[in-house]
Amino acid sequence: MTARPETWRLPAMWVLLVGVLLIASAEVGGAAMARFKLELARGVRAAMLARPDAHGLVGVRDVDEQIIDEAIVKFDAGLRLFHLHGEGMGVVILVATMVAATLVHSAALRRVIIGFVTVGGAGYPAGYLVWSALIPYYGIERGKTVAEWLIWIPFGGAAIIAMWLLTAVVAARMVGR
Amino acid sequence: MSGMWSLASTLLVLGLAAPALGHHVGSYTPRDNEVSANFKQLKFSIQAGRFDVARRLYDTGALRRELQAQSARLPAGLDEDIRAALQRGDGREAERGFMVFFVALVRDLALEADRQVSDPATAVQARAAAGRKFLDAIWRYYNLIDFALSQRDPKASADMRLAFDEAEGYLKPGPAPALDRVRQPLQQMARILTDVIQASSSSARRES
Repeated sequence: MTARPETWRLPAMWVLLVGVLLIASAEVGGAAMARFKLELARGVRAAMLARPDAHGLVGVRDVDEQIIDEAIVKFDAGLRLFHLHGEGMGVVILVATMVAATLVHSAALRRVIIGFVTVGGAGYPAGYLVWSALIPYYGIERGKTVAEWLIWIPFGGAAIIAMWLLTAVVAARMVGR
Repeated sequence: MSGMWSLASTLLVLGLAAPALGHHVGSYTPRDNEVSANFKQLKFSIQAGRFDVARRLYDTGALRRELQAQSARLPAGLDEDIRAALQRGDGREAERGFMVFFVALVRDLALEADRQVSDPATAVQARAAAGRKFLDAIWRYYNLIDFALSQRDPKASADMRLAFDEAEGYLKPGPAPALDRVRQPLQQMARILTDVIQASSSSARRES
C-alpha cells in the first residue's frame, strides 16, 4: 500500500465554479419549475396545438388530450430530471475532481479525468433541459433522439469514462502501483 | 501489436461509455379525463346507494356537460332519463344511460378513425399512428362500460372485443400496417355500437 496524501488537493478554480454553478442552476431550475408550472404547461399545449403534424394530433379531443397530457408530463419530467441530475452531477464534479487532483500523479491523465468528468458531468444534465425544450416542437421521441445523440451519449459517456479511469487509478494506488 | 492495443482500448472505452445510452426519462401512465373521472365517481356513488351524491355529481359534473354538448348525436331524452333514474334511485337504469353515452362516444371515435385511416392524402405511417391513437381512446372509453354492456348484451360485448383485437393487430407498429384491412373491424365496431344504442333506447322506451 502506498502512503495516502495528508491533505486533499483542489482542482482548478474553473472546475469548482462549474460544479457549484451546476448545483445553483439546478436549484433555480427546480424553483422555476414549481413557480411557473401552469404557465409552462400552457406554453407546451399552445406550441403543440400550433404543430399538430409533429405530434400526430388528429383533431379529435378525446384522442389529442391524451397526447398533449403525455407531452406535458414528459416535459415536466425533463425539468425534474434536470433538477435532480444537476444537483447530483454538481456534487460528483466537486468530489471526483478533488479525488483526481489528489490521487492521480500523471499530469496528463489527471487533466483527462478532470476535464472529462467536469465537461461530461456539466453537460449531461443539460440534455434533460434540451429534451424538455424540444418536446413542444418536435414531440417526445424525436426530442429524445436529438438530446441523446447531441448531449446524453457524448457527455454522459465522457463522465462515465472519467469515472472508470479514476476507479482504475484508485484501485492501482491501493495495490501499490 | 500496438494496433491491437488501440483496438482493445477503443472497444473498452466504448464499452465503458455504453451505459450512457441507458438514461431514464420517466414513465407515463394515462390519466382519466374529467368525463371518465366523473363517471367513476358516479358509478361508485350509485354502487354505495348514495343517489343524493350521484345526483349532485351528475348535475354539476363534466359527464353531463359533455352529454349535453353531444346531445344531437345521442338518443333523444338521454339526459332526462338519467336524471329521472337517479331521482328515483334506479341504479340499473342510470347505468344504462351512462352506457349509451359512452357507447355513442366510442362509435363516433370508430367512425372518425375509419375516416382518417382511409384518407389517401395522409402518409401511411401517419395514418397508422393516428389509428393506434384512436384505438387507445376507444379502449379508454369502452373499458369503462364493457362490464355493463356484457351484462345486457354479451354477444355485442364479445364482438366488440374481437373487432378491437383485430383492428389492433392490423395497426401494430411495423413497416407495412394493414390499413386497408383495419377499416373492416373499425366499421364493425361502429355497427355493433349503433345496434347497442338502438336496442338500448327501444328497450328503455318499452320499460317507460
